[in-house]
Amino acid sequence: MNDKNQEIVRGAFREYYFKHSSQVEMPQDIAHREFGYMHLAAGMTRHLSFKSRGEVMAGLVREVPSDVYCSNAIYRFPTLPMNEKQWQGADLIFDIDGKDLDLPCVPSHTYRVCASCKHVSPPSEKEYACLSCASKKAEHVSIPCSRCIDGSKKEAKRLIDFLIEDLGINKSSIRLYFSGNNGFHFHIDDESYRPLDSPARSDLVGYLSGIGLMAESIGVRKSPGSDLAFVKFPKGGLDYGWRKKIADRLKIDATSAIKLSNRIKEKGFSAFKSEVDSMAREAGVRIDPQVTTDVHRVFRMPGTLNSKSGLTKKRCDIDQIDSFDPFQEACLLGDSKIKVHLKTPVKFSLKGESFRISKESAELPAFAAVYLICKGLADAS
Amino acid sequence: MSIRVGPGDLAKYPFLNEAGEYLRQSGFGWDELEKPEMKEIIDTAASRIAAGTAGQVNDSLERYEKEILVFLVSLILVKSISIEPVLKKYSLSEARRAEKFLTEDLKKQTDPQKRALFAKIFEDLFSLKIDVAENGRLFKVKVTDYLRRSSHFHEQEWRMINRLVSRGFVFLDADEVVRLVRNELAILIHDRVAKMNIPQMPAAIRQKADELRAELAPKVQYRAQAVTEYPPCIKHALEVMGRAENLPHSARVMLATYLLAVGKPVDEVVEVFKNAPDFNEKITRYQVEHLAGTKGSRVKYSVPSCDKLRTENLCFATGDCAGIINPMQFGRKRA
Repeated sequence: MNDKNQEIVRGAFREYYFKHSSQVEMPQDIAHREFGYMHLAAGMTRHLSFKSRGEVMAGLVREVPSDVYCSNAIYRFPTLPMNEKQWQGADLIFDIDGKDLDLPCVPSHTYRVCASCKHVSPPSEKEYACLSCASKKAEHVSIPCSRCIDGSKKEAKRLIDFLIEDLGINKSSIRLYFSGNNGFHFHIDDESYRPLDSPARSDLVGYLSGIGLMAESIGVRKSPGSDLAFVKFPKGGLDYGWRKKIADRLKIDATSAIKLSNRIKEKGFSAFKSEVDSMAREAGVRIDPQVTTDVHRVFRMPGTLNSKSGLTKKRCDIDQIDSFDPFQEACLLGDSKIKVHLKTPVKFSLKGESFRISKESAELPAFAAVYLICKGLADAS
Repeated sequence: MSIRVGPGDLAKYPFLNEAGEYLRQSGFGWDELEKPEMKEIIDTAASRIAAGTAGQVNDSLERYEKEILVFLVSLILVKSISIEPVLKKYSLSEARRAEKFLTEDLKKQTDPQKRALFAKIFEDLFSLKIDVAENGRLFKVKVTDYLRRSSHFHEQEWRMINRLVSRGFVFLDADEVVRLVRNELAILIHDRVAKMNIPQMPAAIRQKADELRAELAPKVQYRAQAVTEYPPCIKHALEVMGRAENLPHSARVMLATYLLAVGKPVDEVVEVFKNAPDFNEKITRYQVEHLAGTKGSRVKYSVPSCDKLRTENLCFATGDCAGIINPMQFGRKRA
């Protein structure tokens, strides 16, 4: 980000941390968390520690980081190097990222920024080649649309269902946030999950993502030496958890052993096995496995700004998820006028206002100008 | 309801604190191990250790006074042999023996007295709370208690997705509940031996320990062979690289840590990535050196486990992968 852009973004971010300090949520055991800042100029500072809300907020207004992170882990000595921190446990967290959902709308709002000359090409279905220097390497910048958000919401709702129905987590222990760009973050306030190590969390991720489901777990076993199978439903029945999910999809219940057996006869065991595997992956939630399994991660702090957009990591009531509009509710920067030079024609909506700009320069409210600068689609002029 | 551990239970579970209490009350002292009538006890203990080291599980059950002494003498002998693999194998065989009895007893869970005893064993020794499920046929443990243990098992059937899970509980039958704590039971026995402090070893024990050491030492040493072929996950990653297609970051970490671990120099590993669509030699070299532990955090990264690779969709297991938990074990055989 050039100096002029940095100056604009810093001003808008500082004003946010000054005016909207109540948005910033502090973690439990604040003194035992590791904090980290990403800087507007570049680079990251980790291993920071604060004792109180006041200290955190003073740091934000003074430093104006581009992004603020806090560890999901609790350490005895949060400022020491990683192997000396003395890990005491970590909150369970999940990340649903719209860009991992392979949504069909994405190419229609993805801009390409050339890796060599930084020229910006507007969305296009054609194979990429920079219009200015013909390079084929580019960074992809997406302006998420309401369909992207709906896609992430669908995954979030599926995760909430797993957390409550299968894992028995209290609804009140689930904190859901819009990530500040194109997805949702979950923070789970359930201390029994804190001691779990990385392999245990990885198993949990497998469960939620529908990875590794065996046909045997619904009672279908391969007959030795052939591609046939025999069916004996498990003692615990097919009424809960994954067994129910798969049974529902196969349209079977505890009385359908013969029906299922005939079905497998037609296709063979191997084909049935892959069918069950794809059903499970389809019914699973698309969460980022790295985020949940990493027990030393610094994770975006609730209520802080995301420098990919200038939007806030904003709390979303899980009962109101359908009506939650992040482009309205998470857009909390000011609206003083800022002149920008646009690198490409753009269209987007923020704070209930639709912008469709094809001119090279424009005067925009700060929230919109910062949005485009953060996306790399405009420069402050 | 008060819970009484009877003599029959002590014979099966001599590691319970009540067994030590029984010995104290009976006035047992170290010097008694020198008595000629103890020879039978020492011999039984020695043969159990030899069998345990060979992977056998002894499930014979003598009268409880003898079982408690045999267990105690076995611990002293293993301590005295002082070869870690012998201790590990012995601990596991004792754990499996107890596992067998626990499973049988747990299946008789209709007796409330027994049920309470087992709940107590699980809670006291392993901090694991077990309840009988509403249908009365299965047991239930909390999801977090399950995950903490099962994630260290290698078999796919123990992944939580292959379990009956509902409202925060995992439902298991008696065999599975006991299997869940087998490793902890082995650790408990291992730690008890490791922490044992024997002021003066009786001569009869010393002599038996020397014999056992000479017999067992050569059996527990083995040498690993060099890797002959790449595992399928690595082959797949190399093929993707060969086609100059994009490989996710996690797959690159897997590939680099694997190649480094089998002894490839950094230059050669960097070369493997030169086909990547976003290849930048400077960045790649730094990252490979970081993984090798020569740059940055100075921590050498290990090859991700098969479990982790499965979660990241990087596992392409074939039949040759049976029984391995890390790509590094692929193709390695005991000499």
